[in-house]
Amino acid sequence: MHKEADIRKPLILGDKTYRDITDDIIRPIESKAPKAWYILILLSGILALWGIGCIVYLLGTGVGVWGLNKTVEWAWDITNFVWWVGIGHAGTLISAVLLLFRQKWRFAINRAAEAMTIFAVMMAGLFPLIHMGRLWVGYWVFPLPNQFGSMWVNFNSPLLWDVFAISTYFSVSLVFWYIGLLPDFGTIRDRVTKPLAKKVYGILSFGWTGDAKAWNRFELVSLVLAGLATPLVFSVHSIVSFDFATSIVPGWHTTIFPPYFVSGAVFSGFAMVQTLMLVLRKAYKLEAYLHVKHVEYMNIVIIVTGSIVGVAYITELFVSWYSGVEYESYAFLNRATGPYWWAYWSMMTCNVISPQLFWFKKLRTSLVFSFFMSLIINIGMWFERFVIIVTSIHRDYVPSSWTYFHPTWVDIGVFMGTLGIFFTLYLLFSRYFPVLPIAELKSILKSSSESYKEGFGHGKGYWDKQLEH
Amino acid sequence: MSVKKTYWKGLSEKNQTPEFVEANSKEFQEDLPIDQFIGGEDVDQFKTPRRDFLKYMGFSVAAATLASCEAPVIKSIPYTNKPEEITPGVANWYRSAFYDGSDFSNVLVKTREARPIWLKGVKEGYAKGGITPRISTSILNLYNSSRLNGPLANGKESSWESVDKNIKSELNKIASSGGNIRILSNTIISPSTHKVIGEFKEAFGSNVEHVQYDPISYNGIRKANEASFGADFLPDYHFDKAKVIVSINADFIANWIMPTKYGVDYSKTRKPENDWMSKHYQFESVLSLTGSNADYRAQIKPSQEGIVASTILNALEGGKLDASLGENLVARIQELADVLKPFKNKGETLVVSGSNNSSVQMIVNKINDVLGNYGSTIDANNSLNVFNGDDSAVETLVKDVNAGKVDALLVYGSNPVYSLPNGAAFAEALGKVKLTISFSEYADETATKCTYVCPDHNYLESWNDLMPTKGHYALQQPVITPLYDTRQAQESLMVWAGNASRGDGESTEYYDVLQTNAEQLGLEWNWSVHDGFNEVNSNNSSSIEFKGDLNNALSTIKKAAENTGTWEFIAYQKELGAGQYAANAWLQELPDAVTKVVWDNYITMAPSDCYKTFGIDTDNPKSAWDGVHLGQEEPAYVATVKVGEQSLKLPVYPLPGQAAGTIGISFGYGRGENQENIGKAAYQVGEYGDYLEEKGKKVPVGGNVYKFTSFKDGEIVYAGPAELSVNDEKYALACTQTHHTIMGRTSILKETTYDVYTDPATQKEDYNPSHVLHSHAEGGHSTVDATDISLWDEHPVEHVGHRWGMSIDLSSCNGCGVCITSCHSENNVPVVGKDEVRRSRDMQWLRMDRYFTSIEDDNRNAWQSNKREGSFDYDKMEVPEDNPAVMFMPMLCQHCNHAPCETVCPVAATTHSNEGLNMMAYNRCIGTRYCGNNCPYKVRRFNWFNYRDYRKFKSINPTQDEMARMVLNPDVVVRSRGVMEKCSFCVQRIQEGKLNAKKEARPVVDGDVVTACADACPNGCITFGDWNDTSSEIRRITDLDTNETNRSYQALEEVGVKPNVWYQLKVRNT
Repeated sequence: MHKEADIRKPLILGDKTYRDITDDIIRPIESKAPKAWYILILLSGILALWGIGCIVYLLGTGVGVWGLNKTVEWAWDITNFVWWVGIGHAGTLISAVLLLFRQKWRFAINRAAEAMTIFAVMMAGLFPLIHMGRLWVGYWVFPLPNQFGSMWVNFNSPLLWDVFAISTYFSVSLVFWYIGLLPDFGTIRDRVTKPLAKKVYGILSFGWTGDAKAWNRFELVSLVLAGLATPLVFSVHSIVSFDFATSIVPGWHTTIFPPYFVSGAVFSGFAMVQTLMLVLRKAYKLEAYLHVKHVEYMNIVIIVTGSIVGVAYITELFVSWYSGVEYESYAFLNRATGPYWWAYWSMMTCNVISPQLFWFKKLRTSLVFSFFMSLIINIGMWFERFVIIVTSIHRDYVPSSWTYFHPTWVDIGVFMGTLGIFFTLYLLFSRYFPVLPIAELKSILKSSSESYKEGFGHGKGYWDKQLEH
Repeated sequence: MSVKKTYWKGLSEKNQTPEFVEANSKEFQEDLPIDQFIGGEDVDQFKTPRRDFLKYMGFSVAAATLASCEAPVIKSIPYTNKPEEITPGVANWYRSAFYDGSDFSNVLVKTREARPIWLKGVKEGYAKGGITPRISTSILNLYNSSRLNGPLANGKESSWESVDKNIKSELNKIASSGGNIRILSNTIISPSTHKVIGEFKEAFGSNVEHVQYDPISYNGIRKANEASFGADFLPDYHFDKAKVIVSINADFIANWIMPTKYGVDYSKTRKPENDWMSKHYQFESVLSLTGSNADYRAQIKPSQEGIVASTILNALEGGKLDASLGENLVARIQELADVLKPFKNKGETLVVSGSNNSSVQMIVNKINDVLGNYGSTIDANNSLNVFNGDDSAVETLVKDVNAGKVDALLVYGSNPVYSLPNGAAFAEALGKVKLTISFSEYADETATKCTYVCPDHNYLESWNDLMPTKGHYALQQPVITPLYDTRQAQESLMVWAGNASRGDGESTEYYDVLQTNAEQLGLEWNWSVHDGFNEVNSNNSSSIEFKGDLNNALSTIKKAAENTGTWEFIAYQKELGAGQYAANAWLQELPDAVTKVVWDNYITMAPSDCYKTFGIDTDNPKSAWDGVHLGQEEPAYVATVKVGEQSLKLPVYPLPGQAAGTIGISFGYGRGENQENIGKAAYQVGEYGDYLEEKGKKVPVGGNVYKFTSFKDGEIVYAGPAELSVNDEKYALACTQTHHTIMGRTSILKETTYDVYTDPATQKEDYNPSHVLHSHAEGGHSTVDATDISLWDEHPVEHVGHRWGMSIDLSSCNGCGVCITSCHSENNVPVVGKDEVRRSRDMQWLRMDRYFTSIEDDNRNAWQSNKREGSFDYDKMEVPEDNPAVMFMPMLCQHCNHAPCETVCPVAATTHSNEGLNMMAYNRCIGTRYCGNNCPYKVRRFNWFNYRDYRKFKSINPTQDEMARMVLNPDVVVRSRGVMEKCSFCVQRIQEGKLNAKKEARPVVDGDVVTACADACPNGCITFGDWNDTSSEIRRITDLDTNETNRSYQALEEVGVKPNVWYQLKVRNT
C-alpha cells in the first residue's frame, strides 16, 4: 500500500467504503439497463449493420467503389486506419505507462480506456484488410511456409512491419485488459444471482479465487505485461508512421514522424477517452470516482501532446523550406494553400490552437468544455491523417497525374460503420463488464479518498456506515 | 426321331426338390451377408435413422456442390488438320494496306492463330511507317459485334440470292426505262474498283454516274490548282525537305490529307542532330497537335485564313501589311517573312493551308510559287489520288435526290446521312429514290434508310489494290476469313453487272480483276503480295507554271473577312476521324492529344472567352482559371452553338491557345442519334454500365458537327459565323490530365533551343545540366552529382547479362498517340470508359503527358537564375498562358533499378529481374496499392474492378464481348480485379526475342527485341534495347560518357531511383 501526501487532491470523493465501490460499479450490470442504453445500442447497431453492408458491397465489387484513383491510392481507408490506431493508444498508455509511473488517478479511467483500445484496434485492423484488392489472399502477408520455396514476404516493406506491430499490440492489449478484469469478474460472479449470469461470469473469471497467491500472481503478471506493453505503445505508432516515413513521397518522407505520430496518437487517444468517460460518468453516476481532477489530469496530457504535435507541424514546415528540396517545399506550401487548404487549416485549428485553451484552469476544469474539446481534437486528428496522406500524394512529383480525391458514399459508409461497430461493442462492454476496476480502486481508497484525506483516515460517518453493513 | 436331352447341375435340380425350386425362384440363392456388415443387428430391425439420412444427404449435397465449384472451363478445340502456315503460339505477319476514305498507310498485321490482333506501319511503304491512332485501333472494328451478318432487304434479314435477284431486276428495270443510277462513294483510290465501277456503268447504260464524296473535303486545293495551273490535282507534299514550314489551320501531323506520311516526314526535320532543323510557323484557331509542335504559333480566326495568307504573300514581296490583323499577328507575319525571304525560289520551304476555300488555296499556291516550292517540296507530277471528291458534284447529287431525279442510289464507303451538311433532309429525300443500296458494314445512319444493305467485308477480310499516288501501288490482302456473312462491295457490283456468277461470301472474281490489273501495270503479283506494295512508273516530269488570277481570289477573301460577327465556329478533325470510329472503344478511350478528354467532343473556347461568357471574375488569373478548371467534380459549362437553323448543345472546354472569338468543335461524334446499331461503345454509359437515355433514346457520345457545315459556291464550308448562348447546366467531361502545367519542374522536362544546342561554344551542362545536390559532409560546402549518391548498392544488372532500356526522343516525338493505342492492344489493357476516367482511373500503361507553359514561367526562371531573388507565384504557375508552348512527354514505367515500388510491397509481388525489368507478378499481388503511392512517375495502374465481368464495363470493354474478345493478345494475361499492373517493357516480346535467338543459337542482337510502342512509333522516337550491349543503339544514344548528342537525361534523376528509361531533351527551333 502506497502512502500519499495529504496535500494531494483526493481521487475518490465522498465517504466511500469498499462495499460502496463494489455496489456503485456493479449496479449497472445487476439492474435493468436504462431506456437510453437501448436507444443508443439500436442506433449504433443500425450504423454498424450499414457499415457491414458497405464492406460486403466493397468486397463483392472491388475497391473501385471507393473514391480512390490512380494518384491517390490511399485516402479514407488508411486515414481511418491510422486514426483508429491512434485512438487505440490511450488505453495501453494509461494502463501500462501510468502503471509503471504509479499514477493512481489512472484507476478511474484505465478499464474503460483499455476496452476502448481493444475496440479501436479492432476497427483499425479492419481497414488494412478491406483496403486490399484481394482480401482472400491477404494471408500472404504472413511468412507462411509454402511449396514455392523462395516465395516469402518482403521484410523491407513497412506494411509487413505493420502486420506484426498491430497484431502484437492487439494481443498484448487484449491479454492485459482481460487479466485486469479477472478479480472483478470474480466479484460479479459472487454477487449475481441468476444462474446463467453466474455461469457466464464464472467462466469469464477463469475460476478466480481471490486468495493471496492469486493476488500475488495477478500483480506480477500485470507488472510484466505493463513492461511489455509500454514499448509497444511507442513502437506501434512509430511503425505505422514508417508506412509514410520510409516512402519517397514528399510530405511522407519525414524523419520526425515516429515521435510525432506517437504523441499525436496519445493526444487523440486521450481525447477519445474523455469523450467516452464523460458520458459514462454521467450515465453511471460515477462522479465520485471520476471527477474534475481526473479530467484536469487528462487535459494536461492533452496540452503536452497537443503541443508536441503543434511543434511537429511547424518543424515540418520549417524543414520543408530549409531543405531547399523543391518537391518538399511545394508539398507543404500546397498543404497550406493548395486545393486542400480547408483540411489543413481544420487540422491546425483543431489540433494546435484549440488545445492551448487548456492553459486556462477554468476551461481545463470545465467538464462541458472538455467534452466539446475532446470532439474537436478527434476531428482534428482525423484531418491530420487525411492531410498527411491525401495532400501529399494528390500532388507529388509529376504534375500530369495531379488530381483530387472525392469520397463516395461507400467511403463514408464504411467509416460511419466502424463508428457504429465501435460504439456497439463499447455499449455492450459498459453494460456487462465492470467499467471501472473495482479491485484496483479499492487499493487507493485508503490513501487517496476524500474521507481519508480529511484527517482521520475516514471522514464523518464512516464507522456508522461500516457498522450498518 | 429327335431326342430331348436334359442337362442338370446337380441331383436337386434333376429331381426338382422343393428346396431347389424355392431357392431358384430368388435372385440370390443364398442370403446376402447383410448381418455381417451392419454389425450383427437384426436385419428386420434395421432402418436408416432420419439423422443418418440427413447426414448422408448433407454430405452428398456438399460433395456435389464442392465438385461443381470449379473455375469455368473455356474449351479450345485443336485443329483436326493443322493449317500449314499456322503454328499455335507463333505469330504470322502479313503485309497489307489500310485505307478508310481518308487515311492511307501500308501496314503489317500481326495474326495469332489466324486472328489479327495488332498492326504497325511499314517503314518501306509510301507513308514510311506512319500510322495514326485510327489505323492502329482499326483492328478492333473487325471484331465489332454490331457488324451486319448478311444482307438486309427493307431492314429485314435476307439472303444474298434473293437480294441479288431483286437488285438485278430492279436495276435492269431502271436502266431500261432510262432512269438515273448514281453511285455515291468516298474517294476510291483502288484502280480495280474503278474498273469494276466502269464495268457496272457499261452494264447499265449511260445514265449511271459515279460521284465521290469526302465528308472532310480538300476540294478547294484541287479547284485552286485548276485555277492556278490549269490542272485539277492534289500534289504530294514533302515536309521532310522543308526547312521552313508554314501552316494555316492545317493539322498535317495528325489529320490533314496524308497525316501518316506527313507526320513522319515532319518528325525527320525535328532531330537536331541532322544537318538542319525545320522552323515551323503555325497560324490556327484551335490548338491542334500540329500547332502544339510549332516553334511559333499565332492565333487567327477562320475568316482570317485568307488575309493571313495574302499578308504573308505581301510581306514576302515587300508590300504593305494589312493592319486589320492586329499588331501581334502583323509582327509575327513580318518575322516570318524575314525568315522566308532568303528562301525565295529555293524550294526549301512549304506553306500549307487547311482551308477548303479555293481562293485561300490560290494565295497559298502563289506563296509556294514565289518560294519555288513546286517541283521540290510540292510534287505536282506524282500527285495524290486521295480526296478526289468533287463538292459541287455532291451538291448536285443531293439536289437531284431531293428533287426526285435519281432512281437508284448505291452508297459505298460513305455515310452521307450522317456527314452531309444537311443529312436529315437527305435522309428524308432518300425515300424518293426507288432503289437505294448501301454497302455499309453496319446498319448505320444511311444504311437504315436504304432498301438494301449489302454489307462489305472489313478491310482485314478483303482483297484490294490501293494507289494513294500515281506511283505507289499497295495491295490489301485478307488476314482472316470473313467473320460474318458479308461480301465485298466490288464483288456485289460485279454480280449485279453480270460479271461474276458467284453470290456467296468469298470473293474470287474480284481477285482476278486485281491480278489482271497488276499484270497490266507490269507488276509481279506474288512479290507484290509479299511486300504489300510496289512502285509504278509514273514518270511524267512536266513543269507547271502559276498563271492564276489573284485579284479575284483576294477580293473573295476580303469579302469573307467582313461581317463575321462575335463568334466564329470552326469544325476540325481530331483522333476520332471523320466518324467511322465512333464505336471503337480503344479510340474513344485515347485521350485527345491536346485537351486530354476522352469519350466526348466539346466546344473549345479561349479561357478568356470562357471567363467573359460565364461571368467569371478575371482580376486574379488563378481564381479565374479555377472557375473554368475541369476535374472529377468540376464539370464543364454547357453552351449552345447555333449556326443558321442548326444548333448543338455541348460542354465547353477552356483551351489555352485557342483564338479569342472562335469556337472549335470536332467531327466524328454524335453517331447513331436515331439508335442505329453501329456498335456497343457508340453510346454514353452511366455509372453502373447502363446506357444513358433521354426521351427513351440512348444518348450518343458527343454531338454531330456536320450539321454546321454547308455548301457555298460548290465548296463545303467548315467554318463561319455562329451564335453562342449559355445553358444553365453543367456537364462532366472526363480528362486523363487535369493539371496542365509542369510547375517549373525542370528535372522532369528539359528543353533548349536549336541555337544554343548547335552553338559550338556550348557544353552539355549549358543545355542539359545534371542535377547537383549540396553536400555539407567534411565540414565545408560542396556539390555532388545527384546520381552519385545512393543509399543502395549499385544494382547488379548494371554490368552483367541484359539490361533492357528505352530512350524517348522528345524532340522528334509529335505526340500523335500511336504508342498509346499500340500498347493498349498489345497488352490487353482494359477499356474503362468515361466515368472511370473522370475519376482519374484511366488504365493505359503508357500515357502522353501534355504540358502548357504557364503565365509565371518567366518569373520562375528569373528567380532561379538570379540566385533566388525576386519572387514567383506558385499559384499563377498553374495557369496556362493564352498562347502557350506545348510539350509532349510519353510516360511509362521507368523500370527503376532502385525502384521505390519494389521495396514497399509486403508480399514481394513486384520485383526486379536480373535484366533490369521492374516486374509485376499479378498472381502474387494482394492489392495494397502502396507501390502506386510510392511511384514518383505515377505509372502504376490498379484494377479497381473486375473489368472482364463487372456490369459497368459490359458495353465498352472488349473483353466483355464474345466477338471483341478475339482481339486479345494471347501472350498477355487479362488481369483480375484487385491487382496492380503497369508497363512490362513488353516482357512477352523480350521473351520471344530471346527464344528466337536461342533457337538460332546466337546471342540476342540489337533489334531482336522491340516493345510494342517502339515498334509502332511512326517517327522512330522510341529506341529500345540492351544497355549492357555496348554496340546497341540505346547505348549509343544514352550513354553520356560516349555519346555525341548529349541530349539524354532521366526524369527526376535527383530522386535517385535510377530508371532504365532515358529521355532526349526537346530542342525547339526558336
